[in-house]
Amino acid sequence: MERFIDPCCKECFNSKDNRCDQFVECCLTGPLCHDSEECAAKRRAIVEKLAHSPGYLEQ
Amino acid sequence: MYEKQILICAGTGCISSGAYEVKEALDNELQKNNMEDKVRVILSGCHGFCEKGPLLIVYPEDIFYCEVTGEDMPELVEQHLVNGNIVERLLYKDPNTEQIVSNHEEILFYSKQKRLVLRNCGVIDPENIDEYIIRGGYQGLKNALDKDPSEVVEMIKNSGLRGRGGAGFPAGMKWEFAYRSQGDKKYVVCNADEGDPGAFMDRSTLEGDPHAVLEGIMIAGKAIGSDEAYIYVRAEYPLAIKRLRTAIAQAEEYGLIGENILNSGFNYKVNIKEGAGAFVCGEETALLASIEGERGMPRPRPPFPAVKGLWGKPTCINNVETLANVPLIMRKGVKWFTSVGTEGSKGTKIFALTGKVNNTGLCEVPMGITLREVVFDIGGGIRGGKKYKAVQIGGPSGGCIPESLLDLPIDFDSLTQAGAMMGSGGLVAMDEETCMVDLARYFLSFTQNESCGKCTPCREGTKRMLEILERITEGKGEAEDISRLEKIAVTVKDSSLCGLGQTAPNPILTTLRYFRDEYEAHIYDRRCPAGMCKELLSYYIDPEICNGCRACTKVCPVEAITGEKKEPHVIDEEKCIACGACLDRCKFGAVKTK
Ligand SMILES: Cc1cc2nc3c(=O)[nH]c(=O)nc-3n(C[C@H](O)[C@H](O)[C@H](O)COP(=O)(O)O)c2cc1C
Repeated sequence: MERFIDPCCKECFNSKDNRCDQFVECCLTGPLCHDSEECAAKRRAIVEKLAHSPGYLEQ
Repeated sequence: MYEKQILICAGTGCISSGAYEVKEALDNELQKNNMEDKVRVILSGCHGFCEKGPLLIVYPEDIFYCEVTGEDMPELVEQHLVNGNIVERLLYKDPNTEQIVSNHEEILFYSKQKRLVLRNCGVIDPENIDEYIIRGGYQGLKNALDKDPSEVVEMIKNSGLRGRGGAGFPAGMKWEFAYRSQGDKKYVVCNADEGDPGAFMDRSTLEGDPHAVLEGIMIAGKAIGSDEAYIYVRAEYPLAIKRLRTAIAQAEEYGLIGENILNSGFNYKVNIKEGAGAFVCGEETALLASIEGERGMPRPRPPFPAVKGLWGKPTCINNVETLANVPLIMRKGVKWFTSVGTEGSKGTKIFALTGKVNNTGLCEVPMGITLREVVFDIGGGIRGGKKYKAVQIGGPSGGCIPESLLDLPIDFDSLTQAGAMMGSGGLVAMDEETCMVDLARYFLSFTQNESCGKCTPCREGTKRMLEILERITEGKGEAEDISRLEKIAVTVKDSSLCGLGQTAPNPILTTLRYFRDEYEAHIYDRRCPAGMCKELLSYYIDPEICNGCRACTKVCPVEAITGEKKEPHVIDEEKCIACGACLDRCKFGAVKTK
């Protein structure tokens, strides 16, 4: 999972034909449709890679 | 994970002062040192401090380097990235205190700002939608999609958000009109024409955070019941257009623009229309005509666009900055938004701060801040220790605010009371060497040139006012000229078809109100107190400096300068037509004015 749009695993159903209504929230706090620490870590890795300073995450 | 992330400001200003060359040199240096995998280099949007560009910030330690060049990169990589030593000579030095500052938040230019709309500009890679999402992006859209359109309209009404494009019309009220208008099709139009000379607030927002504008557009779309938008952006903004196109493509890929957004049943299409750069095309009805393929000329209102707009359909037109505020309101709530600003002007305002200040650039300030704070703290005071004279706020439609009103709070109502207007955010500071009559002439020459000619008061009135101003600055002013100016100005203001003519006299009226003595000096004493109007100066040659090189005699069109070779020359004041050619030509500074 390089980008938020990439599915974290087979469980992720978000696609052009089947949009997930929780997609935005899921990017930061997901996965929301299944339980998986591995999938959560994949999302955190994207955030950690891009967040260049502690202030970056204060929105 | 990267050890370091380096942001290079790549707003148009920094690009023109060499940001791409800096990036290329930095990439090469990182490659030489095998550091490409450890260091991420990001081209960000405008960081604001254009005066000191190109800017470069090293994270996580947040070290702010300014005026960097490609040649500085080997030292920066070796010293800072390899050895961990800050390169002091590239840090910011306060022009007044000489103090060296390494963290940008400690620089006065930044510390008095409140960057809400610009929160991502200079912080994220504007071409990476993931970064926008991490910083809270598209949560406002999601909140809007979960609500009834009337609730979204109500939120924007309650936020007190007023249009940032010029007139300060309440955004929520405009949305309500469009929401209540009946129509099988409705449009949202984003006004990114930004025609004020020297203004670059909207360009920087689009370049630095395009998704924020797209998100704002779609929230407006949801609120008024529209499924399609146009962004009208001038073709002179190629980088803004490129980043917008990239952002639209990414949002489409992410299912945030297009069909059935976030499975809500809401569909949205966003088009870009490139404008040819006429000032009048920023006026909303002329803009609509231009999108429709007609000549950009204003149309009488009513009907207002909210009732009959693009192709006759209900249309909500908002400025870039207005729309960029919307996602924040939808995400953080009305209470949060209304906690910033004044009673009648909520939130922040972005200004393009230019002119004679030490720190020129883009700043975002809370409404209610004083002009003094903007000019002397953020702007760092007047360049070269000269005396402050006035600011022109609101571009060619705005007005001049004198020193006596330096403590005026910047908000829509205070500025209007002072005879100026917020306008879209141009703020030009002037020192004692600015002639206020010439300033009015400059702005009038702009509006006269840009008048589309459709209505007589604007077409004829701006021309007549310009003629009078030209005559005054040339030393040919007549005693009745001030009253003539006032009479025409009021007529043009009251009877022009659109805001261009209705506001064009503002620079004249405010300079007459606050600097009438300068007009009188030009007319009655044939004198320009600021020493700027060439024809009103008398020229002489300083015999102590003149070496008789004869250069001035060769350029004098009326042979007013005489003297032997290698002997000091003299100017015959009777013959001199005050063209200033000798002054421009003399390399030794021997030609002087009084
Ligand atoms: C001559 C003229 C030029 C204008 N140029 C712009 C412009 O470049 N950008 C802009 O947003 N509004 C401009 N306006 C104001 C628009 O007509 C309109 O009021 C504005 O886009 C509405 O958006 P807002 O309510 O969000 O401010 C201009 C108005 C006039 C009279």
